[in-house]
Amino acid sequence: MSKNLLFHFRPRRVPESALRLTLTWGLGGMAALMVTQQLISGLLLGFFYTPLPVKAYESIQHIQHSVFLGQLVRNMHHWTGHALVVVVFLHLLRVFLHGAFYPPRHRNWLVGLSLGVLILMANFSGYLLPWDQLSYWAVTIATSMLGYIPFIGISLQEMMQGGQEIGTATLQLFYFIHTSLVPVSLFLLMAYHFWFVRRAGGILLPANEQAANAAKQKSVTVVPDLLVREMAFAAVVTCVLLLFSMVVNAPLGDMANPELTPANVKAPWYFVGAQELLLHVHPLFAVCVLPLSMAIFLIFLPFSKSKAGKPGALLKTLFIAGTGSLLLLTITGIWFRGAGMKLVWPW
Amino acid sequence: MVKKAFSPARRNVLSRIWIGLGIAALLQMLAGAAFFFISGRKQVEQHTPQLLQAGVATDFPPGSVTLIGKGHLYLARLDNGGFLAISRKCTHLGCAVPWIAERKQFECPCHASIFDITGNVLKAQAPRALDLFPISFQQDMVMIDISSPIKRSTYTAEQLVFLQERR
Repeated sequence: MSKNLLFHFRPRRVPESALRLTLTWGLGGMAALMVTQQLISGLLLGFFYTPLPVKAYESIQHIQHSVFLGQLVRNMHHWTGHALVVVVFLHLLRVFLHGAFYPPRHRNWLVGLSLGVLILMANFSGYLLPWDQLSYWAVTIATSMLGYIPFIGISLQEMMQGGQEIGTATLQLFYFIHTSLVPVSLFLLMAYHFWFVRRAGGILLPANEQAANAAKQKSVTVVPDLLVREMAFAAVVTCVLLLFSMVVNAPLGDMANPELTPANVKAPWYFVGAQELLLHVHPLFAVCVLPLSMAIFLIFLPFSKSKAGKPGALLKTLFIAGTGSLLLLTITGIWFRGAGMKLVWPW
Repeated sequence: MVKKAFSPARRNVLSRIWIGLGIAALLQMLAGAAFFFISGRKQVEQHTPQLLQAGVATDFPPGSVTLIGKGHLYLARLDNGGFLAISRKCTHLGCAVPWIAERKQFECPCHASIFDITGNVLKAQAPRALDLFPISFQQDMVMIDISSPIKRSTYTAEQLVFLQERR
């Protein structure tokens, strides 16, 4: 029974060329692995975390200072959470460049986009939980950006904050989103995501290899050939995350103080692009028109015409230009903006 | 025998009814969930006036700005004696704006917006003047209703509140 269920997700045999690491760079599998790690470290942290202002900060201090391996578990959860956003973004990039979103994979592209949104939600809702100055003001800035959306912006902002400003209601809401809403939706959608890959006949191979495979039918068994490679890759990824977490501590600033905004506060790094854009263009454009057109572009992408199974030159240019400018804005916002948003040289 | 009992046409009608019922049930559930959410929100949002005692009016000299910590706001008294209860929340992205006494202006630490004593924008990023809170007087006591901030684009003289001198 359990074996049958597993075969909904994994085939018995795969084409030999599908084993090549550089085909996908293992990004999807890496994301799945990291989500599982987040679940485990999150469950551990959940034993000692209190979702109330002041107490939240104290419970993080307790975890870091008096719980055995507490600092390490928090570091793992913190750094893996940020790395997950990067990995998911790279996964999207890879799938786009291979044109792996055209039918029959068009529905799975949409499921993947929803998963991406959930990962951002997971990170953003977790951002507030330590209740230090960094998290309090970063979330203040990010939710205030919502206020610039016409008509519904202010109500949206108050809905997110659970009131006029960030307080107990916000923390409760974010805690609920972070620990219930996101994990449950994430795992349900992930199951769907994997099943869709299986149903579309496994990962997409380049056109020339597809033809070669059809001719020769050269395939290997999943156990052990694929499994061993996956396990080795998972071990390497886990080691890198673990080593990084052993060396670099997750930041924890002073306790959140609604009276005092520290100098040089910024939105969470994945929203810094929008914040940076807000300095240059009309707010309506920065927080509404542009993100909305990006979303529409991504949603309707699989219904566009392909050129031999890959996105056409126009789509590719649009996508790469968009990604490039977002990266540029984000990098400028993170490293080249000092106190008072003045341009600085970081070194 | 059983197979013959339902003609394809009848089966088609029946399955359509099932789909219709399913959609109706889904809509009901969504409507129920929406009302659940909205009614729960209203309780939190009820705007009952929340009066805060800021202090005796004469304790605030003209041309001064005093932080009223509890209400997250400043009580400004202009040189002509008029009062303004100014929110400390920057209208740009919600940072707390400190009053810099030596330069007599509010300076936002986040994106360097600057406001004058009336809350008017002197240097941009901030799109409009700082929010106000309604002021009333009980005897000589300055009372501020902190439950309902008033949004404004700019400062006008009508926003000033004066202590009525009793003769």
